[in-house]
Amino acid sequence: MIDISVLESEALGSIKEVKDLKELEEVRLTYLSKKGRVQELMMQMRELPKEEKPAFGQKVNELKRTITESLKEKEESLKVVLMNEAMEKEKIDISLDAYTPSYGTLHPLTLMSEAIEDCFIGLGYQVAEGPEVELDYYNFEKANIPKGHPARDMQDTFYIDPVTLLRTHTTAIQMRVLEKAHGQMPIKLICPGKVYRRDNDDATHSHQFMQVEGLVVGEGITLADLKGTLQFMVDSLFGKGRAIRFRPSYFPFTEPSVEVDMSCHVCGGKGCPTCKGTGWIEILGSGMVHPNVLKMADIDPQKYSGFAFGVGIERLAMLKYGIRDIRDLYTNDVRFLKAFKRFD
Amino acid sequence: MRLSLNWLSHLVDIKGLSEEDIVNKTIKAGFEVEGVEHLGQGSDLVVGKVVECYDHPDSDHLHVTKVDIGDEVLDIVCGAPNCRTGIKVICAKVGAKLPGIEIKPSKIRGVASNGMLCSLLELGIEKELLSEDSPSLTGIEELGDEFKVGDTDILERLGLKDTILDIGLTANRSDALAMHAMAKEMAAILDREAHLPLYDGKSDIGEEGEFTLVSKSANCPHFLAKVVNHVTIKESPSWMREYLVSNGVKSINNVIDISNLVMLETGQPLHFYDLRTNPKREITVIDDYEGEYEALDGLTYQIEKGDLMITSEGKPAGIAGIMGGENTKILDDTPGIIIECALFDHARIRQTANRLGLQTEAALRFAKGLDPLAQKKAMDRAVDLLIEYADASGFEKTTEWGQSTYKPYTVSETVSHLNAVIGQQYRLEEVVDVFRRLDFKPEVTGECITCHIPSYRMNDIKIAEDLDEEVIRLLGYDNLKATLPLMPATCGELTKAQSTRRKIKDLLRARGLNETISYTLIDEEKKNKAFWPLGTAIALASPLSDDHKYIRTSLLYSMLESLNYNRDHDNKDVGLFEVSSLYAKDKEAGERLAIILNGSLERSPLMKLDVKSDFYVLKGIFKMMMEELGFEYGRYVIGKNDDDNTHFHPYQSAKIKFEGKTLGYFGKLHPNVLSDTKLNDVYYLEIDLLPLFEAKGAKTKAPLINRFPNIVRDIALVVKEEVKVEDLIKKINKASGKLLTKIEVFDVYRGEHIKEGYKSVTLRLIYESFDRTLTTSEVEDVHTRVLDLLNKEYDANLRQ
Repeated sequence: MIDISVLESEALGSIKEVKDLKELEEVRLTYLSKKGRVQELMMQMRELPKEEKPAFGQKVNELKRTITESLKEKEESLKVVLMNEAMEKEKIDISLDAYTPSYGTLHPLTLMSEAIEDCFIGLGYQVAEGPEVELDYYNFEKANIPKGHPARDMQDTFYIDPVTLLRTHTTAIQMRVLEKAHGQMPIKLICPGKVYRRDNDDATHSHQFMQVEGLVVGEGITLADLKGTLQFMVDSLFGKGRAIRFRPSYFPFTEPSVEVDMSCHVCGGKGCPTCKGTGWIEILGSGMVHPNVLKMADIDPQKYSGFAFGVGIERLAMLKYGIRDIRDLYTNDVRFLKAFKRFD
Repeated sequence: MRLSLNWLSHLVDIKGLSEEDIVNKTIKAGFEVEGVEHLGQGSDLVVGKVVECYDHPDSDHLHVTKVDIGDEVLDIVCGAPNCRTGIKVICAKVGAKLPGIEIKPSKIRGVASNGMLCSLLELGIEKELLSEDSPSLTGIEELGDEFKVGDTDILERLGLKDTILDIGLTANRSDALAMHAMAKEMAAILDREAHLPLYDGKSDIGEEGEFTLVSKSANCPHFLAKVVNHVTIKESPSWMREYLVSNGVKSINNVIDISNLVMLETGQPLHFYDLRTNPKREITVIDDYEGEYEALDGLTYQIEKGDLMITSEGKPAGIAGIMGGENTKILDDTPGIIIECALFDHARIRQTANRLGLQTEAALRFAKGLDPLAQKKAMDRAVDLLIEYADASGFEKTTEWGQSTYKPYTVSETVSHLNAVIGQQYRLEEVVDVFRRLDFKPEVTGECITCHIPSYRMNDIKIAEDLDEEVIRLLGYDNLKATLPLMPATCGELTKAQSTRRKIKDLLRARGLNETISYTLIDEEKKNKAFWPLGTAIALASPLSDDHKYIRTSLLYSMLESLNYNRDHDNKDVGLFEVSSLYAKDKEAGERLAIILNGSLERSPLMKLDVKSDFYVLKGIFKMMMEELGFEYGRYVIGKNDDDNTHFHPYQSAKIKFEGKTLGYFGKLHPNVLSDTKLNDVYYLEIDLLPLFEAKGAKTKAPLINRFPNIVRDIALVVKEEVKVEDLIKKINKASGKLLTKIEVFDVYRGEHIKEGYKSVTLRLIYESFDRTLTTSEVEDVHTRVLDLLNKEYDANLRQ
């Protein structure tokens, strides 16, 4: 007679000793196969008196269940161990940079120009463009700079013929849009583009550069509105906390005209080499649209007023990113270009 | 311009104002102070007397001296050749700070030296400003008897203690080039009184004389001439020399100095001629002289038609408004003079001065525009000074040609309009006060203020808004509020072209390419060899250099230059793109995109990943871009490039057509194009962007996702080399009907097991139906049909 409890402890003991799945299968066969030890018990049952059979049967079934569960449990634990062993073999050096997805860059001038455009699109402005090969008429005449005007000296010009030139400022775009507006108000424009001046290239001058000009014409526009708008732009480009100040200046197409300084973004206005110790950095020129400019565009200066401003993109980019030589922006060295991953 | 605070202090009461205060107020009023210069510099200077002087025992040029400075006697070693007993000198004591040096007690070749005897050069005075016989040029300065031993105010008394503001003038303020007008401006800025010398009408004297004055040019509308029969040439008074020095003008003699001083004071350049050189008493202004002319500076200039010339007896006597002639200049024995005060056209003078490269003080002033009344003012002042400082007599009446074009005028403004423009709430009284300070003689009627504009501000003050600027300029921008415009709401957005351009740039950047911006202007060689030029190149009328002469009509050589720069600087694996407008004489403006690739587009050696840029990489980038823009293949077609085999590899380039028209080209660049560089294997694309800006992309639609499984069949077909994969695919699509939904090209193989002149193309065909699970036999039918057709059409066999 096999004692059930002895068999049970024997089986569970064997399972415990098992080292791998193969041994486990052997144990299973030893106890649970058709010729296994548990089956032997069932054979014994035949010899038992009838009344003892159900209780015995129940015990054997219990034993079967206990062994099965134990086997299963052991199998699970063995699998976990195996999986862990397998994964351990897949150990890698996580400090390696094996794959570097390539990602390109936009030109810093594009980044700056788009940032300015976006800032003003948010204020409801349209982005306007125009030809770089421009008529003297739009570049100068319409901008209140007639022939012989001393201001033509301020902008040495690449002429193509007596009436055609490479535009010296994006003001020419404004003049075209003003004319096209046929008095339709309001006008809110932001005009980016390449411009050209007859300058020799050096660290701070380039015969080709980029400007963004803004123009607002409507009823009741004031110089104070210009200041608020420019403060908004400076906040958006250089982060909040920069003060701006106006200084009187002169542009033929605005009156009054002002130069605009921003408190130095490097030292916060305390004075440093970037701001030459003054705490201020000149960033743009602007003013109230000259009544002559409005008149030439058939806009009644008695009823409407406006402001305009013009920013040198190179200047802003050089300030923001600490670029020392303007020619770096036109050499297209990828070591330089790759640094400008985003507008921050 | 240079503003001497010393000079200013004689014209405007600036007592009690610090230098910093004056500078700040000047800047705030619109005059950019670009620099502050201290003329004579040096602390701890004292008048000393050399009481003993003997040669240094160890030197062939040094002197050992004892210098009495009043409270003590100093031992000083001095190297100046003019150092000798008895002279009064400028002595810098130990501790003195001079430009660049600090005086310390020292031993010079064994002899103690406690101080330094100074030349004016050592005190920061420019050599050019010293008179030719100044001892400071070769040795130390010698002081006159008026200086007492121990005096310390040396620089002040020599007129060398001065602060000069270097002011950058805006184009509208040429009036500030006249010291007397600038003094009035400074009085307004500082709100102090100006006290200008009175000379109005001083030239209304003289006997009748005979003088012929004619202008034959419209560019000289007004001319005053006056004969002064007797002058005495001598040294100028010290104050006059100081004023000239402060403006960087060298003192020569009293008469020439007066002409320069009057120009500085009134802004009107004037010229004095030696009376002996004009016996006929005749001046004619002409503008049709051609030929060489020797000017005062001893150089010869080429005069062209249009240049204004002063002539006498038909012979040139000076380049009008720019420089007088060598033959008529004032000499030490000049007995009398002719004074010229004329108005010459600013644009004309600018043109001549620019061409001759002669930017004289006179030319500068004419070119910027003059006070229309300055001719008379200058004549008055010149006569005034000549009488006082050159013993002038024998005046003849002023001869006048033409007349001043000036007419007195007024400009009016209301306080409410002013406030509407500025966005401030100024009061009438403060506004009127600004105009009073500016000497605009304001008259008030209700809220309207009428200003009488002085002649020297005529070029600048014309309309009410010009007055508005004067108000805020002098009341200050500091208190200006910052508001945003109150106006009807508008929607800000990009146009289709603008947003498409941005999208293209973003896509290419995401593919790892770097955006470039290069110069529009190119040289002749690049112009001549342009690829697919937009049209005939536009040339500049007056280029600055040969490098930048023409406006580019295509982008290839700009891109190549950028790539080549990177190659030369060892930057490998370069992918660049640029978007730029193009212009041509005979075409509408265009806008193009260029891409240039060299090396690998993507490379991670540890991953064994190396996407080498080639034709297919470039093609893939282009197709990706088109797909992202909503243009399916079919709307554009990539075909053979038969147009250009000089810039492109004849067998590795393609032409792109968009909606039937040429959009551009791409492929491998021809080796000839790279012959000047160390580059090879360069891939390039240039396309027209305008059609893409205008065309509408396909609408995005959600795809139908199949819920039934598909059946995949891979086939390796052996075909002749000339069979194009694209044609195979087309044929398969045609033959297979609806069940075949996708064909992928797996491999194109040539080599072992494949006959010469053949290639093996491995394709994966995907069959599926959206309404049922396909049976093998269904697919087999179609598949067999496909293979049969390919065999028939292309002699294609399954690879064994």
